[in-house]
Amino acid sequence: MPASADIRVHITDQCALFARPSDDFRADILVAAGDKVAQGAPVLRSRRHPDLTLVAPVAGEVAAADLGPGKRLSHILFFHDAKAGRHEHDVSAARAENDPVAVRALLLSAGMWPLFRSRPFGRVPLPAEQPAAIFVMALDTRPDAPLPQLALAGRLDAFLRGCQALASLTNGPVYVCHDGAADLDDLDVGNDRIRLTRIGPFHPHGLAGLQIAARFPAAPGRPVWDVHAEDVVGLGSFLETGLVPETRLVSVSGGALREHRLVRCQPGADLRALTFDIVKPGPHRLLSGSSLDGVEGRWLGPWRRQVAAIAGTGTERSPHWFSAALRRSSRPLPIIPTAALDHAFGGILPAALLVRALAANDSETAMRLGALSLVEEDVALADYITAAAPHLTAMLRAMLDRIAAEEIA
Amino acid sequence: MTRGIWDRETVALLLLAAAMPLAVTWLLATGMQGALRLVFVLIAAGLWHLAFMLARAQPPSFAGALTAFAVAVLAPAELGLLPMLIGISFGVVAGELAFGGWGRNVVNPATVAIAFLGFGFPAAPWPVLPIQLGWAAIAMAAIGMLVGVMAWRIAVSATAVLVIAWYGGMLAMPFLTAAAVVLVLLVCDPVTSAATDLGRWLNGLLYAALVMVFASGWQGAAAVQVAISAALLTSLAAPLLDEIAMRRWLARRKHLG
Repeated sequence: MPASADIRVHITDQCALFARPSDDFRADILVAAGDKVAQGAPVLRSRRHPDLTLVAPVAGEVAAADLGPGKRLSHILFFHDAKAGRHEHDVSAARAENDPVAVRALLLSAGMWPLFRSRPFGRVPLPAEQPAAIFVMALDTRPDAPLPQLALAGRLDAFLRGCQALASLTNGPVYVCHDGAADLDDLDVGNDRIRLTRIGPFHPHGLAGLQIAARFPAAPGRPVWDVHAEDVVGLGSFLETGLVPETRLVSVSGGALREHRLVRCQPGADLRALTFDIVKPGPHRLLSGSSLDGVEGRWLGPWRRQVAAIAGTGTERSPHWFSAALRRSSRPLPIIPTAALDHAFGGILPAALLVRALAANDSETAMRLGALSLVEEDVALADYITAAAPHLTAMLRAMLDRIAAEEIA
Repeated sequence: MTRGIWDRETVALLLLAAAMPLAVTWLLATGMQGALRLVFVLIAAGLWHLAFMLARAQPPSFAGALTAFAVAVLAPAELGLLPMLIGISFGVVAGELAFGGWGRNVVNPATVAIAFLGFGFPAAPWPVLPIQLGWAAIAMAAIGMLVGVMAWRIAVSATAVLVIAWYGGMLAMPFLTAAAVVLVLLVCDPVTSAATDLGRWLNGLLYAALVMVFASGWQGAAAVQVAISAALLTSLAAPLLDEIAMRRWLARRKHLG
């Protein structure tokens, strides 16, 4: 394990704020192409929730700003230029009284809000949302994940300050999940709503969704947020200094690379710039996320702390028409309950019943079995193990979207 | 996005591999007659898989071979070709292929076929399983549990009850052998047994309890007949056991909200 100080800071020349069409994020752009922006300066404001602002991930110049039809954000591209400096937010109101309303307003205006993820449905929480509980994940058990203790090392006071701020956002408990490696065991948090929770060190126990399902299931009207410990540290130091954290600790790994490396890079970093000097010859794909749950893309996505490079082009040689016909006609492929499937849910959820409900599109049973606490990354391991077709992640997302639409109606 | 290996055919192949000790023991015990019977059943079941592949685009499965082996071992002897063919066809088609193939079936096709033959042709004698098959069943269960394609909870709970009953003199040795072979070949089938932790414990206990009830109360029943009847009723009850397990799981989580 490298010491925390040895990890190289790698700010890529290009980076982007982006949204997928399915996010339907409608925004006003506060800058124009060619403008110099300081790191942390507001660049986007949500049209649906004008309190919610996104900030520049890097100091530099706005290279391009693309809004799709209906002012939906496609992406804003930034060129890095350290001379543009850092934007300092006014934190005096939030710091003086530790006022929950001021903290909330400050996080919304400083672009820190999208660090939280709200379940059910796994989205950025609404500005007025009051979480029933918050889960701080001080461990990450995914393959090749960066160790959160590297991000926490020497910054426990900022972490504590961040936890106190989180406690002010909710009336419920704040669970700090850790595996004992980050020296959190005998941390004096001074707040009985902050609960240190030690959990097993093996995948999938470090997934927030399974811990939420086991300890505090999310439900409509009872949102549960999760946030990574490194972001809590960033939150704590932001409330002290007014500076939005510049980097996050990212692990770059995968079969298409010559070596596994840890870097500190900005959010939305360019995946090609992070990998080009260590990639093996031949075609490869870059995933934002781990090899289990990553999505192919150019930029490091929100909540992602891993880059995986997978060898191959992703388009397999088209099979013989006969075997293709056999395979397509029998979808969804049956999933046989084995010990491997039980392990894929860590023994926390009834695996076979849940997978069956997902594949049968039985949202009622899936909701009873805890599907509302899950997002795609939580079923990615089961997806990998069973080679399910169609993907369990896709079936879960479709089900969650439908449940969300029914909730609104 | 790499893909893992635990798809349907991997599980079927591992189950077949686990069945090898049992197959070898059985073939050594029955010789040429058993081999011919196995080949006949394999061909009959394979033809139905082929028919469903061509007519319904249903990919055939190696699990069909396991079904054929179970039928060859456990079906009543001296039936003649035509009744045997009818029984296998009924089991394979109505028990498995009509539901969409292995993985979507509700009851084990071999259980259906054997029960159909046994009750449809009551004059045919049930096979008497040689005692070494019971030992081979232990090997099969060990391999199956080790690679994770058989639920150890079913095997352990059923075995515990059956062995205690045998030790206490409530179960004769032929019944124990038959119950063990049927347990590993049919009851532990991952598709048609219960799929939750509690459900699996109950599944094993229910099977063992039914074997004991039939063995003591069913006058004139053969050992295999007793075990097959218990297996059929158990697999019909499996969804109920899962439902019980799910209700209990939900009740225990009520305090979480």
